Amino acid sequence: MVKSNLDALVRVAVEGQVSHPGQRGGFTVGFDDRPQMRPGMAGVTVNLRVGARALGWECDHGEPGVSAEGLNPDRHLALQVLAALGNRVRMTSGLAQGALGTVTGKHAFVLIDFPAEVLAEICPGDRLVVEAWGQGLQLTDHPEVTVRNLGPELLGVLGLESGADSRLRVPVVATLPSRVMGAGIGMSSEWANCDVMLHDADLVDELGLANLRLGDLVAMEDQDHRYGRSFHRGWTSVGVIAHALGPTPGHGVGVVTILSAPAAALATRAVPRINIGDLLGLS
Amino acid sequence: MAARDNLDALVETRVMGQVTSPELSAGVYAVDREGKPFVPVGAGGIKYNVKVGMSAFGWAADQVEPGVSIANPQATANSALSTFTCVGNTVQVRTGLATGALGVVTGKHEEFASYQHVLVDFDQETLSRLCPGDQVVVRARGAGLAAAGAPNVTLHSLDPDLWRKLSLSAGGPALVEMPVVAVVPPHLVGIGSGRISATTSICLQLGSRDELSEVGVADLRLGDLVAVTDWDGRYNTGYRPGAMLIGCVAAGTSRLAGYGPSLTILASGRGDQLRAIIDPKANIARMLAVGTYRQP
Repeated sequence: MVKSNLDALVRVAVEGQVSHPGQRGGFTVGFDDRPQMRPGMAGVTVNLRVGARALGWECDHGEPGVSAEGLNPDRHLALQVLAALGNRVRMTSGLAQGALGTVTGKHAFVLIDFPAEVLAEICPGDRLVVEAWGQGLQLTDHPEVTVRNLGPELLGVLGLESGADSRLRVPVVATLPSRVMGAGIGMSSEWANCDVMLHDADLVDELGLANLRLGDLVAMEDQDHRYGRSFHRGWTSVGVIAHALGPTPGHGVGVVTILSAPAAALATRAVPRINIGDLLGLS
Repeated sequence: MAARDNLDALVETRVMGQVTSPELSAGVYAVDREGKPFVPVGAGGIKYNVKVGMSAFGWAADQVEPGVSIANPQATANSALSTFTCVGNTVQVRTGLATGALGVVTGKHEEFASYQHVLVDFDQETLSRLCPGDQVVVRARGAGLAAAGAPNVTLHSLDPDLWRKLSLSAGGPALVEMPVVAVVPPHLVGIGSGRISATTSICLQLGSRDELSEVGVADLRLGDLVAVTDWDGRYNTGYRPGAMLIGCVAAGTSRLAGYGPSLTILASGRGDQLRAIIDPKANIARMLAVGTYRQP
């Protein structure tokens, strides 16, 4: 277990509610040049959960489980920025009142997993509290590694190691080249995620990503996600796949940044499977 | 000879905007890619000394918009202004001390979750009379423009007169060729993926002049034409192997992560029907005789 400043982090309640899908009445245009209008963003997505495949759904940015929002724009931004992956969530109203869930990702909403029987009872408008914990996290022996959106709950089970060369060792299922990093570049590292443009079937095969799953850990080559997301040769960022493919060009599969460092300070290691659903015991 | 087109089928409309005033969030400071705070100045309002044709770099500014930045305060009307307005369109001032003065559209520029501006070049005397809030009308023409016989080429935001000057078409009717100063690889596209091509701009992650060595040029000027390889803009902007996009530099560079000079999208092609021909002088200010090329 790598050392961190865990003892210095405050844990704060941030209220939210289960969002409801919205429609503006217009089609968006897919990578296939065809108009499309599909579900997936906001609300409760009952049959899409962490661990499911990220590609192959008839959805638009399919968000697994519950998509939570703040009660007004300022509070929404606080929820977005303060929530971290792995954080505990409590339902505070509705049929699932008292049930516990886990933050597994961010998009325009904070994405929360609940056990299947709980998810079936949750309804848009139900209130919840995120026990937000993790922003400000630093890895004591790895000062060049910047941490974003990583809750201590997840840090503890990620399997991070300090190498003999003092680089941080991080297991990932795949490495994404910079040319596929789409919407999300230029935005704050704490806001939502960065879409990976995996629309072209040949490209998906070439990159070996056909079996990518929600919750998988991935590396992003030549990416610096410290103060906003950008191309930076020689840097590596690591993230977690948060939502399924959005069909519009420039969009795609979302990846939430958790680590960012120059290559001299961080080395990734390809493994067949590393998924936060397994690590956090979500099933 | 210009490529054939559908000019006779285009309708000309009028869209209204007003001269904007700069806006800042309550936190004021922006944070650059190295974590250093700065005050972002340059977007919105009237820039008296920044003109299309000048460098996109070297300003103590963030995403500086040359000339006058206009917008419509009503969101759906602004969407129409941003979409129907084309680079090269004529703009007329309708209220205030500069009423009647004419200007020329030089670009469109969008900031995420913030503003969507149309950028207009006026002569210096008009600039000195203009004031935020003054109403302007765009004589909008060019939306719907298509190159005949080149179905894999999509044109956006191009005034017909600028299109005629831009399209080289040396390769025959099924091919559109345009001059560009530089060709940028897809990994250097910054914020702007997924945006609507007909309306907007994308950033190039070429934050400083030093980074221009990546694309083999010493400078990029406001108004320069630039190609992006493996990037598509038929409907929405995004990575597509084999596609190409051409745009003009609308706004200056930025210190923000994932930002740099912004390109207004003018053409998008697949299957090799759109080609970029390197020409160090390829700049819309020169073609439109505006900005630093404006005749006194």
